Amino acid sequence: MRRHLSPSLAALMSAATTLVPEAHAQTATGADTESLVSYRFNEYDEDAFAPRPVIGSAERYGVISQQFQLATPVGTDAALSASATHEVMSGSSPWYVVQGPNHQPIQVMSGATIRDHRSAVSASWTQGTGSSGGTTYSASYSAERDYHATAVGIERSIPLSAALTLGVGGSFSHDLIDPVDAQLYDRVQHGQKNTASLFGSLAWIIDRSSVLQTGIQINSEHGFLSDPYKLVTVGDGTIHDLRPGQRDQMAWLVRYRHAFSRPDASLHLDFRYAQDSWGVTSQTLEAAWYQPLPARWQLVPALRYYSQHEARFYAPFFSDPAAHNFFTSDYRLGTFGAFSASLNLRKRLGQWEFSGGFERYHGATDYALGGSDAAVPAVVSYTRAFIGLDYLLK
Amino acid sequence: MNSAHERRLIHRFDFNAMGCPCALQLEADAEVAARAAAAAQAEVDRLDRKYSHYRDDSLVAQIGASADAGESIVVDTETADLLDFSATLHAQSGGRFDITSGALTRLWDLKNGRIPDAAAIERARARCGWDRVEWKRPHLRLGVKGMRLDLGGVVKEYAADRAAQVCRDVGIVHGIVDLGGDLTVVGAHPDGSPWLAGIKSPRDTSRAFAQIELHAGGLATSGDYERAVIVDGRRYSHIVDPASGIPVESFSSVSVVADSCLVAGAASTLGMLLGLRAGHDWLLGLGLPFLCIDADGNASGTLAGARDEGRGTRDE
Repeated sequence: MRRHLSPSLAALMSAATTLVPEAHAQTATGADTESLVSYRFNEYDEDAFAPRPVIGSAERYGVISQQFQLATPVGTDAALSASATHEVMSGSSPWYVVQGPNHQPIQVMSGATIRDHRSAVSASWTQGTGSSGGTTYSASYSAERDYHATAVGIERSIPLSAALTLGVGGSFSHDLIDPVDAQLYDRVQHGQKNTASLFGSLAWIIDRSSVLQTGIQINSEHGFLSDPYKLVTVGDGTIHDLRPGQRDQMAWLVRYRHAFSRPDASLHLDFRYAQDSWGVTSQTLEAAWYQPLPARWQLVPALRYYSQHEARFYAPFFSDPAAHNFFTSDYRLGTFGAFSASLNLRKRLGQWEFSGGFERYHGATDYALGGSDAAVPAVVSYTRAFIGLDYLLK
Repeated sequence: MNSAHERRLIHRFDFNAMGCPCALQLEADAEVAARAAAAAQAEVDRLDRKYSHYRDDSLVAQIGASADAGESIVVDTETADLLDFSATLHAQSGGRFDITSGALTRLWDLKNGRIPDAAAIERARARCGWDRVEWKRPHLRLGVKGMRLDLGGVVKEYAADRAAQVCRDVGIVHGIVDLGGDLTVVGAHPDGSPWLAGIKSPRDTSRAFAQIELHAGGLATSGDYERAVIVDGRRYSHIVDPASGIPVESFSSVSVVADSCLVAGAASTLGMLLGLRAGHDWLLGLGLPFLCIDADGNASGTLAGARDEGRGTRDE
């Protein structure tokens, strides 16, 4: 039903949304009647290495990011969203691993404290927000001193019946890598990477209080996929991190949402399984509880577990270069597991919404499903906190 | 007729609820249809029990008792949503739609055929007024002893939407819910064709005044042809303007089509409350398809072209 949406009708439909959400899914998204301006301040801090042995700075990475976002309906049948992000990163990052006494792996950190900025803009346009399904077109650009990424995407939702919705989409990203101090450290001077993604999902409204969604995503990366800043110990010396020029990943996800009337709350359960052509497999399980409280407060405690199995060419150090084609000691490709707990709080006050949150993420090699493999001395733990302010324009 | 085969699969369930004849028409396997019908009927009965102002054990009665005791009451989420919705209608209608005007409505029931005098109207008005209600979700306090809530203007339409959703939850894809003329489509016919809804003729309620095609959403009709009373040759509707305390001179019926029966019902009720000229203009500005029929049987509104006097009330 396409028509002019008068202010009176918008008011009626908006008021009816909570009572008959199915009929007013269009207004339930909020995109149709309200514009939103939001600001987020986010701080991310990786734990220092101590008491683990380390060569170089024990301090690790920290990121402070700020994001502005604007979302607004355009006419009665479209919505525009745009965001700008600025990040300041500083600290040392893991460089390579050496063998200490008793063959114990010791992490070597990058010598200089890195200080870098990243700026990113993104925009998306959704056409058709009603019950006949919609199409979202998106584009983004991100720039750092040594890294430029451009991405475009398209996503379409197709209602198959009153209870079943099919989602399909795809995206493409083109990234340019121009490492700093390339000549000084004999790094590759220029690299590029292309990533294509396809996904499909089915969302099934089981009954009035539960929704189940399942989906498959396929990613394919080509080009320079190594980390130009990392080295690998091979025998008595070091070489540059060297990975295959292609990586294909397949991920399967399941999401379940259940709304309870007593207490008035909802449970979100998410599971994701991924595996790729490098031999990396991962499982993520997340549970979140959305609890509305009196006076328009909302509390969201969440728990997440992540487990990853290492890439075939991961090792903290290699003794025999002839036995391998590819080499990495990047902790992000090792075997580890992590538990994360977070607590987010929101408070609506008229047209303002305040939010804040805190996350503690703890990683360890022996948290991995099936136990640890090769040592990962740089496995990360971090603390993250954010505050945000939203303004809703009716 | 290529849809003859599908039509044989339509299962019809008639029942009485909320003081009116109701019907479910579901196109599905007999077993699924029966299960859906039972669930939908149970949902309508639940809402009837909860919000009836005729029952002593209803929530509305409890709220009335709290008013008499001068206390506030904490209401559940569904009721709070209905109150929020009613508050929106109150604001959108400039105070004419008022769920606390039950005392006035009852005064003009005119079961005894006598027009109330000015003193009785004033007494009733003193017990009405959403402005006197303290509503701070989920805390409700009716400000005046003797004040009563009348959610009749929204509950039937809401019940039609809920019944349709219950049918969908059970697995019904094609069907329509009819609660005394307030309709919600569960889903169009299997071949994608719409349901045809008949709007009763104000003069002869056994005949359809107009046929309206419904693919989805809801159709609601507010009218006084069932409850209007003629006293001393003057026609009094059951729709009372809370500002003046006397019935509104308005249409015989107003029908509106919307994404939900709830919104359609809100629009048709407000169109009716605003009276002949203002109601028509307000509906035109609102932008939903509508049909107004005046006491002389003249049709106006964007659906007026759908008029078809020659056909029966039901297409099936």
